[in-house]
Amino acid sequence: MTPTWLFALGRLGAMLLLGAMVGLYFEHLFAGLFVAAMISLWFHLFHLIRLERELGLPRAKTVTVPDGTGVWARTLARIDHAHQRLRKSKKAYRSLLKEVRNSTNAMPDGVVSLNNAFEILRYNRAARRNLGLKAKRDRGQRIDNLVRHPEFIAYLNARDSAQTLVLPSPVLEGSFLSMRMVPYGGDDWMLLVRDITEQTQLARMRRDFVANASHELRTPLTVIAGYLDAMAEEPELPEAWLRPVGEMRSQAGRMLAIITDLLKLSRLESDSLLADEQCIDFAEIVRQAADSAPSSLLHPEVELRIETPKAIRGNQSVLESVVSNLFQNALRYTPSEGKVTLLWRSSEDGGAEFSVVDTGEGIAEADIPRLTERFFRADRGRSRHAGGIGLGLAIVKHALNRHDAELHIESRLGQGSTFSCLFPSSRLCDVGDEIDVQSPVETAKSP
Amino acid sequence: MQTTDINHHISRRFNKDLEELRSQVLAMGGLVETQLERAIDAVVSGDSELGHKVAHDDFKVNRMEVAIDEECSRILAIRGPAAGDLRLIFAVIKTITDLERIGDEAEKIGFLATKLAAMDRPPGSYRELKNLGQHVRTMVRDAMNAFARLDVDAAAAVIREDERVDEEYELVQRQCITFMMEDPRTIKRVMNVTWTARSLERIGDHAKNIAEYVVYMVLGKDVRHTEDSIAAIAESTPRTTPKDS
Repeated sequence: MTPTWLFALGRLGAMLLLGAMVGLYFEHLFAGLFVAAMISLWFHLFHLIRLERELGLPRAKTVTVPDGTGVWARTLARIDHAHQRLRKSKKAYRSLLKEVRNSTNAMPDGVVSLNNAFEILRYNRAARRNLGLKAKRDRGQRIDNLVRHPEFIAYLNARDSAQTLVLPSPVLEGSFLSMRMVPYGGDDWMLLVRDITEQTQLARMRRDFVANASHELRTPLTVIAGYLDAMAEEPELPEAWLRPVGEMRSQAGRMLAIITDLLKLSRLESDSLLADEQCIDFAEIVRQAADSAPSSLLHPEVELRIETPKAIRGNQSVLESVVSNLFQNALRYTPSEGKVTLLWRSSEDGGAEFSVVDTGEGIAEADIPRLTERFFRADRGRSRHAGGIGLGLAIVKHALNRHDAELHIESRLGQGSTFSCLFPSSRLCDVGDEIDVQSPVETAKSP
Repeated sequence: MQTTDINHHISRRFNKDLEELRSQVLAMGGLVETQLERAIDAVVSGDSELGHKVAHDDFKVNRMEVAIDEECSRILAIRGPAAGDLRLIFAVIKTITDLERIGDEAEKIGFLATKLAAMDRPPGSYRELKNLGQHVRTMVRDAMNAFARLDVDAAAAVIREDERVDEEYELVQRQCITFMMEDPRTIKRVMNVTWTARSLERIGDHAKNIAEYVVYMVLGKDVRHTEDSIAAIAESTPRTTPKDS
């Protein structure tokens, strides 16, 4: 028996004994016991009701637990203790919550949490500013009711967290937002919104500058190249000038090629609304490229393997430049006793794959990630000798991006390289099919 | 959901149907807003390709209108809605008509943009159209936001805004007349500018209509063609929607 029990029972016993004694004195034993029991009962009821009233007070800031005696003193002390503890932890939680809220509000990027039906649960201050949400009022509203851009709705419904969407802000004129949705906590989604107006403007300025500069350079260069052509074919040209003029002519040709590539690149980068897309027989493009290869003892052997008749939805000239750039690269870096294989086949995930396999010099592993940068060369001295410009792979990468495709590079120094273009199944089509003019959701791979 | 008063049905399917219907209308609104934005862009930047695309894409708006119309008659036939739900359906039917008209005007502007792109550009490069267009776009956006939030005050603001758009249209027209009087050779071009401004002004009217349907949907009061201020009407009408804060 616990001390509490003993104490309570002792008290009851003493009370009853007192009642019995008083009852005996007045010769009414049971009446005395009854009165004593009633007094005990009343004592307990009194404390119980008082406690009930205190605890039941609506939203009392602090519960003051009443004092008591006997077993009640202990009970009440315990309740009081529990209350104090609860109040303390509540206070701690509240300040923690406030801190979390403050820090999310201080974030420069917008965050909106959504449930599975895309109803808004919570959002921070930046999201309010970027998306035009109203404080508190928009909770429970579906996000696509307020951000109504068709591309955004398509993006939401795709539920693809690997993609990033770039969209003009629905509230701020002329600013751009980059959005990305991330699943969390089971069924919910987090929408991250970043203001990328500045980056967009910088990128556009750079693009415009490159496009304008190349365009302006091309005109005078065409004139120079034209005169050099005429001079080189002049029979009365002094012997001493033959070599310089020939050199000037080939360098002018090279400059023109660079400028053409730069223009092509800037056109690929600018997202023109009307990409002229058709269903294109890719195998035919590969075949033509293989046919155009010079067949002489100075060049490597070319093998053509077409294993699928699959066609690709895309732009003819852009895809042609992909194939020819990869093919020319392979020819350039493969010695004449080597071999270049062009391969068009189905890939495992239902898409299609175009690969160029060569047995050439190969690329050092450290250089592979940088290959698609403009003007990047694996080995400066040797590569210039081979006559490349350094824009080919950059063009390929952008062109493939436009077709939702990926470029994979595998290589070993001295053993050769494999460049593969992986087209997703969504890009496959049947030649002769009518293509829906509606362009797919314009998305960009996240940086 | 506090923002809607349509979530009180015993049938959860009905709730879902109404929510879905609202979202479809708003998605259509989003499409129309994009069309309008592109049309104005096409005029201002002299991009005939973009103008062409806007004119071509109008079929999407029409397709959505037909789909939503069908959905409305389906709900009317099967559920037989009453009171607030019935008002919602009515407001939806009317709103999509106006949205479709806005789409048509955007198509017209897109077409005019292709014509304007082929002509000489004036020194101001259609700044007045840009401003008017911006104004009207904000109106359409606010009207759709009011529809989404069932926000009477925002709707009232849109209705008031229409007067300013009308004034601005008046100004553009005067300017055009001056140009034509000064130099008759510009008449052909300026006529196209006038038509564009006219279309923008019409879009403002349609946005105002949509805002009026929002007031009708929430308060059950028809505020079309009345001179009373919406604020007074809102004041005297018990709200069916709890206005949360």
